[in-house]
Amino acid sequence: MLDNATTDLPKLQRTRGAARVRLDAAGLRDLHQSGSAKAMLPKMHGAPPEVVFLNTAGGLTGGDRMHFALNLGPGARATGTTQTAERAYAARDEVAEVTVDLDLGRGARLDWLPQETILFQSARLSRRTTAQLAAEATLLMAETVVLGRTAMGETLTTLDFTDRRRVLRLGRPVLIEPLRITGADLAARGAAGLDGALALTTVALVSEGAEDALGPVRDIIGEAPGLAASAWDGRLIVRAMGRDALAQKRRIAAIIERLRGAALPRVWQV
Amino acid sequence: MTDAALLTLTQWLSPAFPLGAFAYSHGLEQAVAAGQVTCAGDLARWLDRILTCGGGLADATLLCATLRGEDTADTARALATSRERRDETEAQGTAFARTVTALGTPVPEGLALPVAVGIAARGLPLRPERIAALYLHAMMANLVSAAVRFVPLGQTEGQRVLADLHAAIRDTAARAATLELDDITACVPGADLAAMLHETLPVRIFRT
Repeated sequence: MLDNATTDLPKLQRTRGAARVRLDAAGLRDLHQSGSAKAMLPKMHGAPPEVVFLNTAGGLTGGDRMHFALNLGPGARATGTTQTAERAYAARDEVAEVTVDLDLGRGARLDWLPQETILFQSARLSRRTTAQLAAEATLLMAETVVLGRTAMGETLTTLDFTDRRRVLRLGRPVLIEPLRITGADLAARGAAGLDGALALTTVALVSEGAEDALGPVRDIIGEAPGLAASAWDGRLIVRAMGRDALAQKRRIAAIIERLRGAALPRVWQV
Repeated sequence: MTDAALLTLTQWLSPAFPLGAFAYSHGLEQAVAAGQVTCAGDLARWLDRILTCGGGLADATLLCATLRGEDTADTARALATSRERRDETEAQGTAFARTVTALGTPVPEGLALPVAVGIAARGLPLRPERIAALYLHAMMANLVSAAVRFVPLGQTEGQRVLADLHAAIRDTAARAATLELDDITACVPGADLAAMLHETLPVRIFRT
């Protein structure tokens, strides 16, 4: 009986949350939030709306289920971000699941710029980000994963992290980045893998003519180590990997600002 | 029957089959230029990562799904991690399609290589993991050959690296045969970055 009591306890503590925001070209149309997921729209004084998602539980642990959704109607423009870095804490058995659904109507533009995800030792997290783009829609997205509390010198050895990022245009996949990091990946030696990196970033611009931004982005990158860009077929990808998460975030910030022609969301801690 | 099919597949995946594979290093040239791969041990670690959790596993999974009759063309294209990677797989896919079509097995052009091979091999009475293992072997052999020329390594050293990869090739092929497209994952940030950096490498012998 005692065993049952202890195994039942964590179930009661599991976090559930869902926040859905719908915007059209005129502004906010709809906002639903439940559980520990919140969405806020700070006053923007004429700039395109900014939607700030928040997990009020303060982090993710085993068995948590979070859902964020952002829907932009035809011609709408917005920035989506998160209030703070997302922290994934140690989990014993169950995986935390986060689902992010981004829907862009014809000619809409979304800058999806969540703050970094920090993975703690023994974290178990499965996240699925899916962006559905109509014709002429533009998506800028940036995801940074930080392995451990780097300021504390924490070195991860146990991890179960899957981060599936998919962008579809008119229902057909145009960009799939299915990152998975386990303890074996952390232990693997050799330069093709993590190679000691503590922060991984991917920035993607999916739009007609995204290739045109390659020159300016490469100018910003210059000779900076652990940073590179490529562009083809209406997409531009920037990748970064390194041991200094903060320095990397600053370099990526400059690239994002160039790609969106505006400053970073104010909640970003750079 | 199976022997005949095996000979056909061996021909399709041999270095003599005109894919232009020798022109592609999958980012290895960049890694050699940057001093990340300087010996047989570095090469073995580099290839093992690509094979088991990079382009190897992804290609083998795409190949097996194609053999099952799934439409994998868009997914294969979307999984390309850089412009040169896209070029590498589609140029070889097109070269493969032209030659097998001329030999009597029609395959459309413009597909990623594992998709083109998968379509051609649908008619072969061979188990998917067997087809995938031979495909992965050809992929690794091509990269070993590139490394022997440009690290450089001795021929025997290179062949030892390839022989030591056999078990991982079999495991990866067997695993790929059980995966769905949605199960494809990767953890090769170093190789992905190298493939991108290769685009601006001042002196390039390989196309990727």
